[in-house]
Amino acid sequence: MTVGDAAVGAPARSAASGTRGLDLARFRPIALPIATAAAALVVWELVVVLLRIPTVLLPGPGDVARELVRDLPVLLRHAVPTGLESLASFALASALGVALALAITYSPLLRDMLYPNLVVFQLIPKIALAPLFVIWLGITSESRLAYATFISFFPVVISAMTGLANTERDAIRLCRSLTASPWQTFLLVRFPFALPYVFSGMKIAVTMAFIGVIVGEFISAKAGLGFYILDAGSRMETAGIFAAIFVLCVIGLALFGAVAGAERLVRRWYRGY
Amino acid sequence: MSVERYVTVSNLRKVYRTGAETVEAVSSVSFTVPRGQFVAILGPSGCGKSTLLMMVGGLETVTSGSIEIGGTPMTGPRTSIGVMFQDPTLLPWKSALDNVLFPIRVLKRPLGEYRARARALLEMVGLQDFAAKKPQQLSGGMRQRVAICRALVYDPELLLMDEPFSALDAITRDEMNEALLDIWQRYTKTALFVTHSIREAVLLADRVLVMTRRPATVVEDLEIPFARPRDMSIGDTPAFNEICSHLRAKIERGNGLGRRIGAAPETSVAISVRKAS
Repeated sequence: MTVGDAAVGAPARSAASGTRGLDLARFRPIALPIATAAAALVVWELVVVLLRIPTVLLPGPGDVARELVRDLPVLLRHAVPTGLESLASFALASALGVALALAITYSPLLRDMLYPNLVVFQLIPKIALAPLFVIWLGITSESRLAYATFISFFPVVISAMTGLANTERDAIRLCRSLTASPWQTFLLVRFPFALPYVFSGMKIAVTMAFIGVIVGEFISAKAGLGFYILDAGSRMETAGIFAAIFVLCVIGLALFGAVAGAERLVRRWYRGY
Repeated sequence: MSVERYVTVSNLRKVYRTGAETVEAVSSVSFTVPRGQFVAILGPSGCGKSTLLMMVGGLETVTSGSIEIGGTPMTGPRTSIGVMFQDPTLLPWKSALDNVLFPIRVLKRPLGEYRARARALLEMVGLQDFAAKKPQQLSGGMRQRVAICRALVYDPELLLMDEPFSALDAITRDEMNEALLDIWQRYTKTALFVTHSIREAVLLADRVLVMTRRPATVVEDLEIPFARPRDMSIGDTPAFNEICSHLRAKIERGNGLGRRIGAAPETSVAISVRKAS
């Protein structure tokens, strides 16, 4: 009897709290991570204050925020080359990745020649190669671009290859039955089919390009946030390091957000809603 | 049968080689189809009927034998042939209307001139309100209707259909058969329609070719006597059921299953015929 009542009562109760539950559910994906981060910052500040940790060792979020505001013009000046180089190397990596995927997909000869070597290359810890780029290209912006492109193009190759290989077989047959040229088949069918796959590779590439630029700046730059961090580190300005890391977070979010946003647009174009 | 031979298939053979093994997918198939005839190629799955169809469409290579269409030997795909596959194979990023217009785009014909025709075709299959929808927003039956419109939009003379409705549920399939009968009433074309459904073949076709496995060849060539326009109601007549059971017997004999398993369905058909008459 009680069991029966509970079973009948349950839907009614959830219906009553339906509107409230819906709103919470909608904001949860945004509200929950922000609340978690805020709580972590509070704990951080408390730990620093209560344990009297020296600022040089670990500044609290308040110290970092003050440093950020104080040195904001300088930070922004350094953010410009870092952001632009990241964007440029990401664009290069995407173009190079798609081009290589095309070559590998369309030419069995090139596939057999290139693909195993590409994979072997990926097994090298790529940070180890950074000094070589300095030797070859100096401490110029081109050096960092080349290095960042180099370490970030591979995911695009893999994802674009998968996308091009996964085009529906019948869609290609349809093109053949219509006597479409290989170029038409590529442009009208295969590339659009591969596009969502390409984006998943590009999302990885954009974060790797960003890492590549920072590593490059550690090694060879006279400007950029990587340089700023090293410079602040050499003067034990820990709050400055954290402030630069915060700016890096913002740039990283913007870069990733732009790619993810473009991906969403493409997927919406696919679905039509 | 009419004297004019639009499609001539003679001694067609297809052998696949996989490593050391050779598989004969189609062995010495010959038939002719006059212009305007709707021919169903009926057989169990894996009997090579799709391979046969793709060879006729120039989409598979021929091991030996020849195919002539409209008096010229087939050497590759032609734009006078339209193909429908088992899946609708619509492009997911294109609207229904743009999918219908896809062949026009590939063939570089003026899109503007064909837009009205594409809309008329969509209207004929009852999709006039869905022209702007993308495939993901359409049901399976609707997608296959779009695929029919796409095969018809550039007005090919010969339509090749490779089990186009076999992925659909039974009710939707009946609807599609009805739609196809209706379309055939308006645009009479020559057609080869591959299916493994006996009822579908008898309902739609002017003539049924029965293919069997081992050897993959044509064992029966049967004219279907029903006049057009047809509708689904002919499926309830005794004559329809008699033809179906005849074809079923042919398929089973061809597969060497006639002795044991074949006995049961044949008796049940006999009973249903008696009930109907």
